Amino acid sequence: MSLENMRLPTGFDALEPFVDRWAIKGANNRLQQRLNSQESERASFFNIGKDLVPPALELLDQKPLHELDEKEQRLMDLVLSLAHISLAVEIQRDHEPAHAESARHITINRATSDKDTNLCN
Amino acid sequence: MTTTVQAFAPVSKEDLAFIGTDPIPTEPYYRSDYFELEREAIFKRSWIQMGHICEIPEPGSFIVRAFEAGNASLLITRDRDGEVRAFHNACPHRGTQLVQVDGGKRSRFTCPYHGWTFSNQGKLLAAPEADKFYINPSDCTLPAVSVGVCAGFIFINLDKSPRQSLQEYLGPLVAELEKLPHARATTYSEYTYEVDANWKLTYDNFQENYHLRFLHPRSGEAAGGPQNPYGYPTRYGFHDPHRSQTIWSNPDAKPLPFQAFAFGKGARHAMEAGYKLEDKEYFGIFPNLFILGAAMTPFSQCIMPIAANKTRSIIRLYWIGEDDSASKRFAREYAMATALDIHCEDRAVIEAGHRGLASGALSHLHFQSQEVLCRHLYNQVDKRVQAYKAELENRGASE
Repeated sequence: MSLENMRLPTGFDALEPFVDRWAIKGANNRLQQRLNSQESERASFFNIGKDLVPPALELLDQKPLHELDEKEQRLMDLVLSLAHISLAVEIQRDHEPAHAESARHITINRATSDKDTNLCN
Repeated sequence: MTTTVQAFAPVSKEDLAFIGTDPIPTEPYYRSDYFELEREAIFKRSWIQMGHICEIPEPGSFIVRAFEAGNASLLITRDRDGEVRAFHNACPHRGTQLVQVDGGKRSRFTCPYHGWTFSNQGKLLAAPEADKFYINPSDCTLPAVSVGVCAGFIFINLDKSPRQSLQEYLGPLVAELEKLPHARATTYSEYTYEVDANWKLTYDNFQENYHLRFLHPRSGEAAGGPQNPYGYPTRYGFHDPHRSQTIWSNPDAKPLPFQAFAFGKGARHAMEAGYKLEDKEYFGIFPNLFILGAAMTPFSQCIMPIAANKTRSIIRLYWIGEDDSASKRFAREYAMATALDIHCEDRAVIEAGHRGLASGALSHLHFQSQEVLCRHLYNQVDKRVQAYKAELENRGASE
């Protein structure tokens, strides 16, 4: 991918393949994506993403959240999706399919991360 | 070399026997007639949490809350003097629900039916064709409801003359609650779910740790350890009608790598706010609220009865200040998602419990000593239901 086509800040190109599916606005939308995903895609996202979360936060922490540019905001959204996906891959493991059945009954009405997305009620 | 595990000694069954030891009748957990008595004896007479002060931060802010067990909709406002007020969300003209949204900012409310307009202090400001009525407009205020605030939590009481103020009702817990992060919260995360189960069964699931190792083998791995396999609390407190416990911290907890990273971020923010990670106090506020005072997950669950066999849980994590960094935003998202994961593991078994009891197969159920908070809730509920029944009989006898 050429530099001008990069959708994430420099250094995070390994996460580019996950942008379309996992750079998601809204905590409830992130939860739903987790519940509607396949084990293999969760595993590949987590396995590549987990080591990039510390440097991503280090980068993003340098600016107030409302000043993040588009690429940085996309990276933030990926990091937030990894918060949900890590619970499926690292904690629930083979229990995730059964776990997801019950999670479908739960709705996130509001999260602090919704604030800058016009999703906060 | 072998290491000796220092066994944890839970509060003994002898020390808890004063709360009761008998089996508990099952009918109160599913019968509609018992629920109707609870509605009158408890939900229309107790202080019930409806929201948090951070939802109405400034003059003109308001929220509207459904309260099915009280057959009510509540309008809670902050007036121009900053005072919190609560009203039945019912226009005194012909009863129409005045406000149809969940909340916002508005200093006056106009009934959609005939245009009567009220201030956020409940006064009638205008009524079209007022001179055609046979009333004094000053008699047509919004019906006021008693309201109180403790630790940021807004409580209402539908009793026209509450027997106790909120502070009297909460008693010694007021000082404890005011120390919690919830009291300083300015925002929150929230998720909700409904279960086809009685409200007491829903609540009881969150009043005992006996089930953790069976229902939460993954998400609750750290709750128990070699010293305390069931993760029993270190202390129980009974402050009738309320309850408390101190959650045990597992010294052998070994969080997984990403979990440890996320918790580390949360821990740092909690300590920066001045809270100790080892503080884990649980407060069961009668009848339907519990609050977990853990620094990293300052949490509350309001268990809203809808019917004898239907309950809505409103779970909130309260936060001090908006997200001011990416790390804080990430840590809060992770904390919320972690709590949600634990809740969804509980949901199915709560419904299964209701189905089993509602079949009528069992006349009684059994609580062990470490389910003492469940027993205490039942005792407090039934005491009020029986007193209300006696009140009805006395009323009938005197008529």
